[in-house]
Amino acid sequence: MADNSLRPPCQAACPIQQDVRGYINLIAEGEFDEALRTIRKTNPLPSVCGLICAHPCETECRRGQVDQPLAIAALKRFATEYGHDDGAEPQTGAKRAEKVAIIGSGPAGLTAAHDLARMGYGVTVFERGTAPGGALRAFIPEYRLPGEVLQKDIERIVALGVEIKTNSELGKDFTLSELKNEGYSAVVLALGLHLSRGLNISGVELDGVLLALPFLREAKLGAGKTVSGKRVIVIGGGNVAVDVARSALRLGAGEVHMACLEARDEMPAFAWEIEAALEEGVKLHCSKGPKSILCSETEVAGLECMEVKAVFDEEGRFNPTFYEEKVSALDGDVVIIAIGQAAELSFLEDTTIKLNQRGQLVFDPDTLATSEEGVFACGEVISGPGTAVQAMASGRQAALAVDCYLRGEQMAAPQPDGRKDVGELLATTAEEIKRLERREMPALALKERMGNFNLIELGYTEIQAVKEAQRCLRCGAGAEYLEDKCAACLTCVRVCPYGAPVATIAGSIDIRADQCQSCGICIVECPARAIVFRQGEDSQIRERVEAAVTEASLSGAEPVVIGLCCSYGAFATSAFAEFFRDNYKPGIRIVKIPCVVKIDTTHLLKAFELGADGVFVVGCLEEDCPYRMSTFWAERRVAAVKKNLDEIGLGGDRLEMYTLSDPTVQKFDEIVTEVTTRVRQLAPSPMRNRREEA
Amino acid sequence: MIVVQQKPLDRIRQMIADYDKILILGCGTCATVSFAGGEKEVQALASILRMADKAKGGGKQFLEHTIKRQCEWEFVDEIEPMVKEVDAILSLGCGIGVQAIAQRFPDVPVLPGLDTCFMGLPQEHGLFSEMCAACGNCILDLTAGICPIARCSKSLLNGPCGGSHDGKCEVSPDLPCAWQLIIERLTKLGRLRELEDIKPPKDWSTSAAGGMRTIDRSDLRITSQDATPQGHEPN
Repeated sequence: MADNSLRPPCQAACPIQQDVRGYINLIAEGEFDEALRTIRKTNPLPSVCGLICAHPCETECRRGQVDQPLAIAALKRFATEYGHDDGAEPQTGAKRAEKVAIIGSGPAGLTAAHDLARMGYGVTVFERGTAPGGALRAFIPEYRLPGEVLQKDIERIVALGVEIKTNSELGKDFTLSELKNEGYSAVVLALGLHLSRGLNISGVELDGVLLALPFLREAKLGAGKTVSGKRVIVIGGGNVAVDVARSALRLGAGEVHMACLEARDEMPAFAWEIEAALEEGVKLHCSKGPKSILCSETEVAGLECMEVKAVFDEEGRFNPTFYEEKVSALDGDVVIIAIGQAAELSFLEDTTIKLNQRGQLVFDPDTLATSEEGVFACGEVISGPGTAVQAMASGRQAALAVDCYLRGEQMAAPQPDGRKDVGELLATTAEEIKRLERREMPALALKERMGNFNLIELGYTEIQAVKEAQRCLRCGAGAEYLEDKCAACLTCVRVCPYGAPVATIAGSIDIRADQCQSCGICIVECPARAIVFRQGEDSQIRERVEAAVTEASLSGAEPVVIGLCCSYGAFATSAFAEFFRDNYKPGIRIVKIPCVVKIDTTHLLKAFELGADGVFVVGCLEEDCPYRMSTFWAERRVAAVKKNLDEIGLGGDRLEMYTLSDPTVQKFDEIVTEVTTRVRQLAPSPMRNRREEA
Repeated sequence: MIVVQQKPLDRIRQMIADYDKILILGCGTCATVSFAGGEKEVQALASILRMADKAKGGGKQFLEHTIKRQCEWEFVDEIEPMVKEVDAILSLGCGIGVQAIAQRFPDVPVLPGLDTCFMGLPQEHGLFSEMCAACGNCILDLTAGICPIARCSKSLLNGPCGGSHDGKCEVSPDLPCAWQLIIERLTKLGRLRELEDIKPPKDWSTSAAGGMRTIDRSDLRITSQDATPQGHEPN
């Protein structure tokens, strides 16, 4: 199917270019398996991303201009939980003889491994920890990412033929030259940032002063230094600091305070993480610089802080300055330092891999090649702290680089998407779009979160997910205007509820793709058939209707009844599919229609022409529908065809339209019974008799 | 634009009764804009006719095609291969289109699927009004841009007549009196005095009564003058 769609902002914002619009709309139509397959095309860690992705897509979502952005990450999680895809990952290349070693099994390493395995290479991942996953496994708290969720994604990567060797640390258990001797043609260093940065202030040597990453690791192992009943002070304002604070609370800390250099709005942690921490009872102390750790005898007694003048200098570089005289103290028994991370690269000192003066890896930003032939690097070890999905994108780039290197090809510059990006949603258009509140994900109540590391967010139910997915504006996948067929009748301009098509001064029509909401009214109403969907839904509906009638007719069952049924909302749930849509006798076929407003009079006529004894249309209620005017147009077209059927003596009572609200979809059965009973009383369609004789 | 509408289905079925293989030919300009003869209408009518025929046990075949304009030779030429295959053409063009097809394909019956109604204005989506009678001698400058020839039931030049009541024509309570509209607009323009000049009888020789009218633009024509169809010049 041709795809002339524009690239939506969600996809453009995604470091791994997920087809967000594609999978969101599959969820909206109840195609959960296909949604998961769509996600997996470009994402080897869908379950992980469904839980912890920083979702830059949501920031760019144009629904945000109407009400709130789509809950994209939550919907991804839903797809991974409700979608079934047991098929093997498709190989994109023929089997290759070369072997590649990946050092590190975090998001960068796993993505590089996944991509290279799909390209046909033999891949071994070396992980120094006891289980794969890198920082995802070692540091991300279980209440955000349970280990079994991570394991689910890793198992699919292993199923691709990737070998993961745990307890294998580069520089300790093996060396780069040993890898080469073992026949690895390329090595990817996806080492992550495993060292917690410390502070050079008095008192840091005390027992009660801990570093963030060891604390998180031990907390995950359940063997952490007990903070139970203690007053904990976390130094830092990033995501790791928040993870530490929230973990400490769960471990039973009496009070948890976070002291950070940044002002509240400058804090590098994600806004939603800070909100959650505050909600759980973490006390925030912003614009505080650590001066010294206070002690009474040998025990930590608190943190002495200076008021911060500015965190960044005039050029925007991190260069904190303080009001030395404005000193305050926080009381506490434990201080955990979460002010940053560093790579552990000491083992490279004896190799030919070059480090710069600051001890960082020297690498080519395009090819990710290090100074040593055949050795590449990706992820946070080269980028510094970032998000998991950024690390995945880096891993993907490394896989491409390795492939080019092993093929002896020049690494091509990153290919632009090739499609035009969707532009701005005008305020005038946004005003015309129905407001549909974002469905917040159900979560554990505050009191249920303490004393355990249970996953907080509970996940969407089916109906929540399909309703949330239905909010997608389908940016860039709407109507496409075929100039050579256009009669300039201006029908599109007049029927569009959103004002997307406009007449141009040159006398042609401009269906502004940036404003189109993909409802399809103009496509159906255009008398010249000069408008099509950019992703071909119009011809898909026609094909589905024709196939359904043909199939039902061939079954030999009487009567042949075709239902054209909305595929959104309650109609998209698996219960509806199981008990209604796919559960009728062979003569009755229900065709999914992504909003009945897309039904054309010729679809209905075709169904009768091919031999349907009866046809019925079931839409949702206008107030449940994300589109405007859907029932109005659908009813009008049904009425027109009923008139046609009367005129030719076939009888307009063979066609009927119904609407059902979300809570009443179970009445679908009654509709089918009613239509079937009525149609049974009529003579069988002479159209079908002719077909059988032929 | 030329405003057309589809003929009653029974009439169409009557016309095609004698033919087995029929090309339903749409027109991509005025008939499309009138929602009567565009690609979509061709598709729908073909479906309806096929069903009507099958219901009667018939075995007719219908081909579907739409060209940009049935009133242009070059566009009409395009259907020649299809025309060879069929017994008749059901044109969903205006009367001009039907005649162009008939002239171009002398051996094939051409049937009008539409009634050509008037030259009009799409007032809004789905509402068309007659605006021009093609009299060949425009007087809109004298009548405030409102045509009494097309819009006055009597085509009066010096109206209104005694049948104008409350702004409506006696012909129908829904029909605005064109002369009432003319007077209102002239008043607004401050030119009502002009109506005091009685307009002499109009020269109707440019209008339709004298047979087919032809405009011969010798400044434009590039073919031999012998090809001129017979007809009177409208001026």
